[in-house]
Amino acid sequence: MAQFLQATLYGLLQGGLLALIAVGFSLVWGVMNVVNLAHGAFVLAGAYVALQLHEAFGLDPFVSMVPAAVVLFGIGYVIQRYLVNLVVNGPLFITLLLTFGLELVLVNLMLYLFTADHQSITTSYAENSIVLPGDVRIPYGRLLAALLALALTVALVYVMRRTRTGLSILATGMDRGAARLMGIKARHVYALTFGIAAAMAGAAGAAVGAVSTFSPADAGRFTLFSFVAAVLGGLGNMWGALYGGLVLGLVQGIGGQLLPGTLVNALAFAVLILVLAIRPQGIAGRAFYASRVEA
Amino acid sequence: MSRVEVDKEVTGSAKTPAPVTPVAPLWRRLAPWALLAAGLLFGIGLQPQLYPAQERLVSTVLMFVALASAWNLLGGFAGYASFGHVGFFGLGGYTTALLMYHLNMSFWLAMPASVVVAWLFAALIGVPLLRLKGHYFAIATLGVAEALREIVINLPKLTGGGGGITIPTFGAAAPTPWLGNDGFYLLFLFIAVAVVAVAIFVSSSRSGYALRAIHQDEDAAAATGVNTTLAKTLAFAGSAALTGAVGSAHAFQLQTIYPDRSFDVGITVLMIVMVVLGGAGTVIGPIVGAITIAFLSEWLRTNYTDIHTFLLGGMIIVAVVVLPQGIASYLRDAIKARRFSPLENVRRYRL
Amino acid sequence: MKTRIFAGMAVAAMLLAATGCGSKEAPEAGGEEDGSLTLGASLALTGATAKEGTYTKEGYEVCTKVINDKGGVVAGDKKYTLKVQYQDDTSKADVSAQLVDQYNDKGTKLILGPYGSGPTEAVAAVIERNGQVMAVSAGADNKIFAKGYRRSFAVLSPATSYVASMVQAISDLATPKPKTIAFISADDGFSKTATQGGIAKAKELGFEVVAEEYVPNQTTDVSAALTKIKPKNPNIIVGSVHLSEGIAIIKQAKELGVRPSGGFAETVAPPVPDFVKTLGTSAEGVLGSTQWTPKTEGSEKYFGTAADYAATFKSQYGGRNPTYHNAEATAACLALAMAVEKAGSTEPDKVRDALAALDTPSFFGPITFNDQGMNVTKPMAVVQIQNGKAVPVWPKDSAEAPLTWPGTT
Repeated sequence: MAQFLQATLYGLLQGGLLALIAVGFSLVWGVMNVVNLAHGAFVLAGAYVALQLHEAFGLDPFVSMVPAAVVLFGIGYVIQRYLVNLVVNGPLFITLLLTFGLELVLVNLMLYLFTADHQSITTSYAENSIVLPGDVRIPYGRLLAALLALALTVALVYVMRRTRTGLSILATGMDRGAARLMGIKARHVYALTFGIAAAMAGAAGAAVGAVSTFSPADAGRFTLFSFVAAVLGGLGNMWGALYGGLVLGLVQGIGGQLLPGTLVNALAFAVLILVLAIRPQGIAGRAFYASRVEA
Repeated sequence: MSRVEVDKEVTGSAKTPAPVTPVAPLWRRLAPWALLAAGLLFGIGLQPQLYPAQERLVSTVLMFVALASAWNLLGGFAGYASFGHVGFFGLGGYTTALLMYHLNMSFWLAMPASVVVAWLFAALIGVPLLRLKGHYFAIATLGVAEALREIVINLPKLTGGGGGITIPTFGAAAPTPWLGNDGFYLLFLFIAVAVVAVAIFVSSSRSGYALRAIHQDEDAAAATGVNTTLAKTLAFAGSAALTGAVGSAHAFQLQTIYPDRSFDVGITVLMIVMVVLGGAGTVIGPIVGAITIAFLSEWLRTNYTDIHTFLLGGMIIVAVVVLPQGIASYLRDAIKARRFSPLENVRRYRL
Repeated sequence: MKTRIFAGMAVAAMLLAATGCGSKEAPEAGGEEDGSLTLGASLALTGATAKEGTYTKEGYEVCTKVINDKGGVVAGDKKYTLKVQYQDDTSKADVSAQLVDQYNDKGTKLILGPYGSGPTEAVAAVIERNGQVMAVSAGADNKIFAKGYRRSFAVLSPATSYVASMVQAISDLATPKPKTIAFISADDGFSKTATQGGIAKAKELGFEVVAEEYVPNQTTDVSAALTKIKPKNPNIIVGSVHLSEGIAIIKQAKELGVRPSGGFAETVAPPVPDFVKTLGTSAEGVLGSTQWTPKTEGSEKYFGTAADYAATFKSQYGGRNPTYHNAEATAACLALAMAVEKAGSTEPDKVRDALAALDTPSFFGPITFNDQGMNVTKPMAVVQIQNGKAVPVWPKDSAEAPLTWPGTT
């Protein structure tokens, strides 16, 4: 019994972090209809930024979430404004290929700069845990990561729904032509969206660095899990990304106990396919683009 | 673009004469087939010239020509970009491996069996999946491919799991002796020719027009009487079956296959890059793209060993920005309109 | 317009086919020109195992430098400068196989092995077919050699001994002797073979195996396995894994409160510097198995003893200590060079026979091969992380310090 409780709690904590990784991905897809295959590389970049700051200044990785987010925002803005904007009007596999090429470039750049070493940012407290009855443990590091992820997502929703910038992003997502007619600079807004998504990813990366190990080989896995979480939750919907992440974490946690350990990934994809077959708009979403067509 | 072949039985009334249907001259319709035959002869003639490793390289190129052309059937013609095509590649490969390993079946039986399995699986899975469009379809197919990989990993007694499975190819245990570099070269050559033949056939037939109509506007196509579900499903299943055939041959060539490599999403992406850079929706596009990318990646790997992946990524970015419609379509349009500037392309898709 | 293009292409194709009426010359044999002997190596320089692939390359580089400094390889009456050509297999088995085929074309018949059991297995098949010869440095899975290949020889101890050696060490050295063991294994071929070897050994020595859990290869999350093992309270947890899973086990065990009284033992990960660097004090007391330590017994004329090798490596690589990946690579290169010397020629068949008959002590331990091509006489060593360093603790006669038991605080 304690075993399942442990698995559930641990899974939820992992899910919180996954949610933060997925929220940016979902935003970009929902607003611009761009699937960013390089998203995992942004997460990784955030982790490396936090690592460098930790090694140079001894900065705690959770504090480094802020500079990581800022740096990644800058990178994301520039990439979108001057690169991805060039192909945004094209068919979807053009953007997919562009972001794929981007992923190759970024991951190999990091491989070159930081080598293939497995890294982790050690803190004195992250691996200690709150101990509940039955020796069920909640590790501080993961708890902090999940709470910060939740806080950032809430903050993002607030920014999206209440500030002018956020509203202009949502408006451009709904109807770019109309938004432009209203005087919204679409190129800038797109770049802003991508920058925000990258910033979220960077912050998530810093948290990942604190609770787990990372190396350039992990970028693909981050992207893959963002996919599943984002689709699960509903594209373009930030609460959806949160739900999706939590559900995914939960499924993996409990699934890991009921099934042999190696089936955990298969479970994630089975969930993905089921959701797409039965309810493609996900738990919370309304499909922005590419709506389901009845045959 | 070939001429439209309209049904010749359009009758006219007394006042309006029956429309004269322009039909492409016979030699023009036969030109792609003639080129294909020439390509086949060229391939056969090239073989004695090559060292074994060069032969292996050309076999790989031919394999990608087949894969790219097969993907193009669904992705290029119909516009349904499948991101999980490697799933059929791996499915074909593993079906062959399992049949040859457990049942000691000859390769020449196992390969057709793999084709059938891939076709059936795609037809089955196409029912829910083809109702999705755009990115959703892409992600769903990706999910299917990944799920297949995980299933293979998790049935170790059947498939060897993560440790891979080996097809017996030496000695008495082997149902079919290993074909050798020469044999595989010819096998891939024939498979590539077969796939391109299918592409040529589809491209100039009604089914091809159905697919193109679906690509341009699915609702309008349905409104004009195209059975979109059937067309899409047949295209999906056909594309999958051909990919499965390639996977089957590849598994036999490699002898030992692993799930990580047989279901590697990088293979799908390579397929797509080749088609897009060559020219999606054309017959010659995937061929040009496959040859270009395969040789480019090989050249990069040999000469810039340390940074070849980085350079490949950079080249993909540049190519996608500058030539998004692909080399073949670009050349066709540029020659027709006498406008060669690639900047036109950039202006076409930029925000 | 299109007609002209089509016609032009058709003509071009015909012409090319017509010129295809010659035949290629057979590749020159030997791989030697102007007094240098070139060995071929296809390594993981990028991709998932880039780190370990780079270590392997460094090992090969040390080998060529030392041998060339001492006058090169003497075969018969000719002296050769040793050279290694490198190609990147991006950590993929089929690419490795293709690269070795390419080497064969260029006449490079003597091959140094890639990193990992997967690529080694793929390459071994090609070697056999082409009549090349391979010295395997980093492919330990016994299954590779059970296929009847006669041209590949592994200098490293086989996979089955990776875990078995640690179990044996615990049985020999630990007081009080623990009773229950739990195994966590990655699900790739090499790790699974090692796990089976370990379980067999554990049962033979009277331990009770309470759990056998598998995790996805190269994962960073082993929480599911640990959560399942926790209620069974094993005395020791043994991990048959690679670096990522190895680090994850220790980190997540701490998070989840999994504290076996005897601690942890893992293959592959503990001797690698990243392990201690990433885990800090959590790594203390963890046992690891390694192919080589600077206290391994044996020496020969090129590299001296294990300690000499460590010093040589340190001076070539800026004060960095060698890991066993470096050492096993150098040993493979050494074995091939020695075989060439013994055979008195660079002919692949003669080298192959000389390699099969090789029986020599070395800085890496005894190098000799059974009829399957594996080096079963060489024992693995067991280390323990003490004060941030991997200290050899078993076998007793090459131990640097006694075992600290129990292994966890």
